[in-house]
Amino acid sequence: MSTVTAARKAPQSPLEATSRRSRWLVVLLLALALLWTLVPLLWMLLSSFKNRTDVTAATPQILFAPTLDNYRNLFSGPNNLGPYIWHSVLAAGISALLAVCLGALAGYGLARTQMRGKRHLAFWIISTRMAPIAAVVVPLFLIFRGLGLIDSIPGLVLAYLTFNLPFAIWLMSAFFAEVPASLEESALVAGCTRWQAFWTVVLPLTKSGLVTTFILCLVFAWNDYAFAVVFSGPNSQTLPIAASQLVTQTGVDWGQLTAIGTIVVVPMMLAGLAVRRWLVTGLTLGAVTGE
Amino acid sequence: MAHRAASSPVLGQAARPATRAPRQPRVGFEGRMMTPGLILLAALSIVPFLALIAMSFSRVRLLGGVALDVVGLTNWVRFFTDADMWMSWLRTIVYFVLTVGLEMVLGIGIALCLYRVLRGRNILLGLLLLPMFAAPSIVGLLGRYLTDSTFGLYAWVLRSLGYGGDILGSPATAFAAVVLMDVWEWTPLIALITLAGLSSVPQSVREAAAVDGAGGWMALRYIIFPAISNVLLVALLIRSMDAIRYFDIIWVTTGGGPADATKIVPVRLYETAFRFFDLGYAAAIGLAMLAFSIIIARTFVRLLDVRGLTR
Repeated sequence: MSTVTAARKAPQSPLEATSRRSRWLVVLLLALALLWTLVPLLWMLLSSFKNRTDVTAATPQILFAPTLDNYRNLFSGPNNLGPYIWHSVLAAGISALLAVCLGALAGYGLARTQMRGKRHLAFWIISTRMAPIAAVVVPLFLIFRGLGLIDSIPGLVLAYLTFNLPFAIWLMSAFFAEVPASLEESALVAGCTRWQAFWTVVLPLTKSGLVTTFILCLVFAWNDYAFAVVFSGPNSQTLPIAASQLVTQTGVDWGQLTAIGTIVVVPMMLAGLAVRRWLVTGLTLGAVTGE
Repeated sequence: MAHRAASSPVLGQAARPATRAPRQPRVGFEGRMMTPGLILLAALSIVPFLALIAMSFSRVRLLGGVALDVVGLTNWVRFFTDADMWMSWLRTIVYFVLTVGLEMVLGIGIALCLYRVLRGRNILLGLLLLPMFAAPSIVGLLGRYLTDSTFGLYAWVLRSLGYGGDILGSPATAFAAVVLMDVWEWTPLIALITLAGLSSVPQSVREAAAVDGAGGWMALRYIIFPAISNVLLVALLIRSMDAIRYFDIIWVTTGGGPADATKIVPVRLYETAFRFFDLGYAAAIGLAMLAFSIIIARTFVRLLDVRGLTR
């Protein structure tokens, strides 16, 4: 029973002792997971190309004559989707941009400051991010009503900042903490001001952090329903509201609904996958660094 | 030389002159950087928080300008004596435990499987992550389509397996359905975080385990899990805080029904506030939810501090 045989037996693959049977089990489980994950998405995509009868056929139709009618109808007729898309882009885009700008500044300050009460400050910021939407919406509704911010894009932007701003501050500070302070010190020695050191030395090093933060903020805001359903009106309704409005007492146009669903979901999936390398860091608010 | 000595402590508090400037605590560079963000954040969090407290002691009138009539503890008395409310909390706990529990188990399972895959792991993971980016309201609507009793794909599958009922129409199946929709969307997050933890276990640790003859379950139980326990805890906390934040799926599928079967606390709050416009009572519910989330946030921050996961 020498170490030699043990060492030889140990395969290179992680989680040692992969027998043939357990390898098949892994493949089977992953196949199931893929099926469970992808079937609803593919079904949504498929259904968005079905005509009225195919989309509500009692027996699911896999082979059908594809049509672009659903998408065409979304952009013509009285309930044009255009404004909804525009509202979504504006509200999500502006709030993400503001969150990243202010978050980068404040995050840098938070990462470098030595002030007393820093931990309390950090706790306040993170608990703002974690506050239940339902608990935030109620007082904001009253305040927005008083300020006339109901049914306006600025109102939505502010509402989205309630969760995006603390998220951005916290996450950017985690990214800045990774940058060694000695870099800024040498910049200062070279004659830079603190701002120049931040702007020309530190910020370029956290480019991936900025992009990740922006995209995650964008996804959170774009996907919001709970705020928009309360705060938005005809002048500010976003895509998820457009989708839910298709559900009416008289029935649902599932072809159009799956088409809107596709329009809402696909861009965010592409954006999310684009920052896959930093997703773990981003989604754990910097608590776990990826791979 | 002298230059360097003078400049190195510039970062942070040490920048203050050793003589300690009396009185006015000068706001340093860091403070100035934080100011705009923190002022906005204060406006967006402290003001609503105070408003929420005030509202919970008032009756809120919306017609003819916003006005608060102080009613003392009425909302709170109602909150603690409302039997429906207690049922909602109970349901919320069951929903919370089921969704987060299933997501943790399945997520860890998927991560362990993915971890064994060497070729194509990135593509697989990318595909498995997709649900996470979908808007929860769309997930709910899609779930409604899939479970429709006349033309839903999943309803059709279940029918051919012998179950012909209306999935979202009866309490038990509706509850299971909204749980599973949430599980569908958020299991990938757990898998992603767990996989990052697994990948950070040093090769040498695993090799040592293999040499010692610890294979399969033994290695998992005694080597791998202890090594990634911090990461798992982070995953659990992150998921827990969002589990009560999002209720979009329930709102667009069942709206809390049938027969209140899926009426978890945030759904009841929304109904109270924006269907019955009883904003005072809704504020009381909101404060109770906030207390819960603050406990989770506290745990999260303490965890980061104690284990030194960041900074």
